[in-house]
Amino acid sequence: MNRIKLFLAGEGGQGIQTIAKVLVDAAELQGYQVTYIPAFGVEQRGTPSTAYIIIDNKPILYPRFESADIAVILQERALSLVKKHVTPKSKVIFDSSTVPAKLIEHANKLGIPATQIAATQFIAKSFNILIIGKLSQLLNLDENLVWDSITKVLGKKFKDEKVKKLNLDTFKFGRSAIFEVDHFSKPVFMPMKEKIVRKGFGKHALILPERCKGCHICIAKCPVAALSKGDNLGVFATAVPEIDLEKCIACGNCFRFCPDAAIKVEKDKSAKE
Amino acid sequence: MDKIMPKCWKAESKPDFFCPGCGHGIVLKQLGYLVDEMGIDRNITFGIDIGCSLLAWNFFDFDTVQTHHGRTTSVMVGYKMAKPSRVAIAYMGDGGGYAIGLQALIHAAYRNDPVTVILVNNENYAMTGGQTSPTTEVGVVTSTAPAGKLAKFGPGFRGPELLRQVASKDAYIARGTVSNPIQFKVMLKKAIDNQVKNNAFSFVEILSICPTNWKTNARDSFARLSEMEKFFPIGEIAAEKEVK
Repeated sequence: MNRIKLFLAGEGGQGIQTIAKVLVDAAELQGYQVTYIPAFGVEQRGTPSTAYIIIDNKPILYPRFESADIAVILQERALSLVKKHVTPKSKVIFDSSTVPAKLIEHANKLGIPATQIAATQFIAKSFNILIIGKLSQLLNLDENLVWDSITKVLGKKFKDEKVKKLNLDTFKFGRSAIFEVDHFSKPVFMPMKEKIVRKGFGKHALILPERCKGCHICIAKCPVAALSKGDNLGVFATAVPEIDLEKCIACGNCFRFCPDAAIKVEKDKSAKE
Repeated sequence: MDKIMPKCWKAESKPDFFCPGCGHGIVLKQLGYLVDEMGIDRNITFGIDIGCSLLAWNFFDFDTVQTHHGRTTSVMVGYKMAKPSRVAIAYMGDGGGYAIGLQALIHAAYRNDPVTVILVNNENYAMTGGQTSPTTEVGVVTSTAPAGKLAKFGPGFRGPELLRQVASKDAYIARGTVSNPIQFKVMLKKAIDNQVKNNAFSFVEILSICPTNWKTNARDSFARLSEMEKFFPIGEIAAEKEVK
């Protein structure tokens, strides 16, 4: 293999560093020289997280690079980070279910709706395993070696065989997945921008998906189980709660416990009188 | 227009930097409503520590000071000396308050300095990956105690009880929990009143949740919090009658 410079960009919590660790580990097992620099901000969810990887036959003298051969974008907010590393020759791989294709000006773009496939066919958390599968196939890494690396890095998390099997299926699906070239999936896994307003039964509810981080404390704290996971997506692409106003007693618990000020239910003023 | 968040919160900085489900948001929400109620948003100085509490640096639309690790109490004491008309609030976590900054906290309580200290206790060093902190209880698994904390390292640090031993009888010391926001809001109000009206030290510890490092969902987080509440008694800690 000639020198391949790989740049991964996404968000903290997505599993960017896990993808990088597995790829680097598998490439090393296969006898290549590798370097890997993780780069991320304050230790928290939702901040940019990037990884610089070089894989080569010959020793690598300097691990950092400016122009990437393959740039991987897994979240819309990571777009600006990738721009400075992309040249006309490089391939841009992106998650077409979270990043709108029209935002990527680069001609050589390849889409894969990883979040959508993982959420609908497997489990949403296995999204990075799918990306590992596709990238390892692209880099010609041996399938068994990569799976060994996955079990080495994520071993503790595969507590039962069911989870392991599901991840293996996701990985195999990822390896056989085909890139979208001209026609891309719709970015259906985008956070919702509008407010959700619900009215009825003498109450009105306001939910702001742009602030909801999906902790679901409101669902746990609702005394009458009026809240449940809805179909809309919040700022971290997690399910925003949906409210059943018929059950709701407007106790104010969801509003009181929401750490992000994303939900409020009130009785209508006219109904009080 | 629905009043979905306190007026003194800075809308541009939302969503904030805390992890999903972080207890800091619940504490800062009640503090925000309290500041709105008391009308002190132009008269308050909010000191924040290093640790997860620093992520509140642009949380409010009032004066905020970022201090060195564990020195929040000291900085706010000095600030209060220079500007006695301001309301000085020091906001920190259990690592900053009970580990690196304990001497500053004890001496502020001992001297009865007129500052309000709010300490959010989630039983670990959350920002750096959930290491064992002084308040971690025996048997709790953390990233530095994979088999559970051993009993020989202490049962879990009870800060308010310690401060009560050295603090003046005028000092207000209490412990609240995020599972009861109404109660700790009353405690915070009493604490700020104690600073403004009685010119005395006040300290409120609030037990909090950390879903990221506890690796729990919302329901399990609150279940573990109720276990914590059994070990750390909730309520105001009154001074003994005869203090020499």
